[in-house]
Amino acid sequence: MNATPASASLDRSAEPRDAQSKPKIMVCDGNQAAAWGVALAGVDMVAVYPITPQSSLVEYLAKFIAEGKIDAQLVDVEGEHSVLSVLQGAALAGARTYTATCGPGLAFMFEPYVRGPGMRLPMVMSIVTRDTLTPQSVWGGHQDAMSVREAGWIQMYCESVQEVLDTVVMAYRIAEHHDVMLPVNVCHDGNYLSYGAARIELPPAQSVAAFLGPKDVNWHVALDPDRPMAVDPLTGGAGGPGPRMFVNYRKSHCAGMHHALRVIEEVHRDWEAHTGHRHAGLIERYRMEDAQFAVMTLGSMTGAAKDAVDEAREAGVPVGLVKVKTYRPFPTAAVAEALAGVQALGVVDRSVDFGGGCGPMYRDALAALYRLERRIPSLSFIGGLAGADLTVEHFHRVFERTRALVGSAQGGDTVWLNEKD
Amino acid sequence: MSGYNTIAFDAGRCTGCGECMDACVQAKSEDGDLAHSRIRIVAGEAPDTWELAMCRQCGDPRCVQECPAAALAKNAESGVIDWNAETCVGCLLCTVGCTYGGIVWDESARHVIKCDTCGGDPACVKACGEGALKYLTTSRIYNEFGDLEDLFVPGLAGCQGCNTELLMRHTLRRVGPEVVLATPPGCVPGMGSVGYNGLTGSKVPVFHPLLTNTASMLTGIKRHYQRQGRDIVALALAGDGGAADVGFQSLSGAAERGEQILFVVIDNEGYMNTGMQRSGCTPYGAWTSTTPVGREAHGKRQDAKNLPLIMVAHRCAYVATASTAFMEDYYAKLERAIEATHRGFSYLHVYSPCTTGWRFPAQKNIEVARKAVESNFVMLWEYTPEEGLHLTRPADDPRPIEEYLEAQGKYRHLDADQIAHIRRHIDENVELIRNLCARPAASPLPARTALT
Repeated sequence: MNATPASASLDRSAEPRDAQSKPKIMVCDGNQAAAWGVALAGVDMVAVYPITPQSSLVEYLAKFIAEGKIDAQLVDVEGEHSVLSVLQGAALAGARTYTATCGPGLAFMFEPYVRGPGMRLPMVMSIVTRDTLTPQSVWGGHQDAMSVREAGWIQMYCESVQEVLDTVVMAYRIAEHHDVMLPVNVCHDGNYLSYGAARIELPPAQSVAAFLGPKDVNWHVALDPDRPMAVDPLTGGAGGPGPRMFVNYRKSHCAGMHHALRVIEEVHRDWEAHTGHRHAGLIERYRMEDAQFAVMTLGSMTGAAKDAVDEAREAGVPVGLVKVKTYRPFPTAAVAEALAGVQALGVVDRSVDFGGGCGPMYRDALAALYRLERRIPSLSFIGGLAGADLTVEHFHRVFERTRALVGSAQGGDTVWLNEKD
Repeated sequence: MSGYNTIAFDAGRCTGCGECMDACVQAKSEDGDLAHSRIRIVAGEAPDTWELAMCRQCGDPRCVQECPAAALAKNAESGVIDWNAETCVGCLLCTVGCTYGGIVWDESARHVIKCDTCGGDPACVKACGEGALKYLTTSRIYNEFGDLEDLFVPGLAGCQGCNTELLMRHTLRRVGPEVVLATPPGCVPGMGSVGYNGLTGSKVPVFHPLLTNTASMLTGIKRHYQRQGRDIVALALAGDGGAADVGFQSLSGAAERGEQILFVVIDNEGYMNTGMQRSGCTPYGAWTSTTPVGREAHGKRQDAKNLPLIMVAHRCAYVATASTAFMEDYYAKLERAIEATHRGFSYLHVYSPCTTGWRFPAQKNIEVARKAVESNFVMLWEYTPEEGLHLTRPADDPRPIEEYLEAQGKYRHLDADQIAHIRRHIDENVELIRNLCARPAASPLPARTALT
């Protein structure tokens, strides 16, 4: 897909209030699809601050609210730090909330961002993924979301415009599940999904309402004079109950992440039952049945990768694909199971793990491979940085390099895909 | 219940002339012997200073507690501690109990004597030509707000002599339980208002925002309750560092948007909770742990930023400065500030001296706070967009700034040039504020007259 200008006007024919029982077919980009997801999700408050390539998303939200398509408060604040802070306050008062950001905005938001999961606030925030500074860049890449992958949020990456809309709605069910109670990032690729237009189906509001059920945001922690409590008092320090309490908070956070692996699958199945839209919850196996070797992908690159797999299969190349949708918590067991039969693995990342000189998902994949009895040679591929295109041809090169590993003991140095484009 | 009246003494104005004692014996004895006076002016420890020995009509009187014969009782009507000659057994335990020398043995009368305020028209006050004695309503706050529930638990762990705890308790009593209280990192939560390890110090919903996002978190809370039609006060009790420095962006943003928040800054001129580091509100010349004094450095090199004036520039619904030494002034402003949250952002900036960080004895806190106002180092004013800015307690005849500076160890190192800088800064600030006071057109009085 190529980048499309963000100035597409709203499709006024497809308002959720007119779409109580029948799905609407429309064409829109990923940013508008996310806004439609918010419109369906019964959100109380949206806080916004614009940043490329997210800006048109918050413009859609502001317009939808102004036109009454979304019955929510719009708080247009002075920066991303306040965006998330306003919404955390609102969530503590019981509000269902939404925002979106990326890149430097996410970096600026970091302080409240790392705090949110510990308060177990079930919030939803899109990251319209963008490469981080510096070098100066306003283009797509996963480095922003990857930089906060250990902050304790659930992170899911979308492949298509339809999946953006559907995942925004599903994210509320996942976040608010009592076994989870964690904030969720719905990541969609800057440029390719933010501006790329596609045909989508807007599910009827009735089915979405039935799917979501009642709002359940602050049953466990609240700032409400009717239920006075101290929120987040100081813990820790040697002596007394502090360290024990702190460990319990951390452990229960990990338990929430663990439960999320189950809940995400349940919610995706239930979404399919309500809307007929089918997406893999944790990972998708594509033509893996008899694959000799596999590639792993994340986000919108998967479309080109699947086309390349189809072409390679036509040509008799025994390649399969594993798309990771849920990146945090990482579905280690599912990935290990999917890769149990292959003889080589290539992992394609759109960001850099500077500590390892490889892609970050490559490291997660290695941890999954370690569960297998056999040693499987593997390679890290890094491509699509700063908006670079990952094409079918790139994936054929990925297949070629990965297939060459079959039978060898080791992998090799990280391959930088767009280095000579 | 109305407030009790009492006789107040200003030692700074007393010349030791003794006119008050003469007036007392004229009113209360037949022979005019000074030994019968119920007010005694005695020489202070320093030369040419005078102190008062007289009944304070205490709220929790030791003399009453000590009396075995129930001859002393606080009159609920007048507040005066009445002595009953019929039941007194002359044991003198009351004279031992009183630390003010307010009840003494009168040899010729053969019983104890004490002030009865002449039934509400004290002769001594009328006799004092220096204005050192005043007959005042001092307990108005106590009586009006004493019945309101204290919404902090007993035993907050403030430093000895800290006025911030006083301010916190008074503020929350008045605001009441329909509140969400934000206490960003600093002295306010440091003394336990949010709590430690599962214990809390407040009876209302309370939380630590980040140091940076107090106004933003309150925005979300207030907006959601507004959406639900619930009238809840979104209250911040913040320090100057979190408001003027790292938290300023969110504060400014919320003020610009007119969020209906009550934001109280308790200004102790630095990061006192974390070890007395400099903030943007630390004044010129002050020692802090990050503006130390040595061969190459002599305290802070810059003047404090005037945060309340910056908030005026946001055209908040209400902005005022206050001091812990003038609680009635603070109460009046708190009333207006709460009311103003129904229209927009409401901002109170309260100067609260820090006994530990400013380096003065714990018992001197109110005195330091008062000297700040009386020397114009701190000016008490209020602002609304409709009425403009006006002084609520002008210091037309200010104390020399040295009196304020010398009261604190943090200024001990100042040289003459630095003191001159501070004096110049005060003069400029006074001129600026008074010029701003002259601006509002709403007042029919000539601007100059309105000032004084």
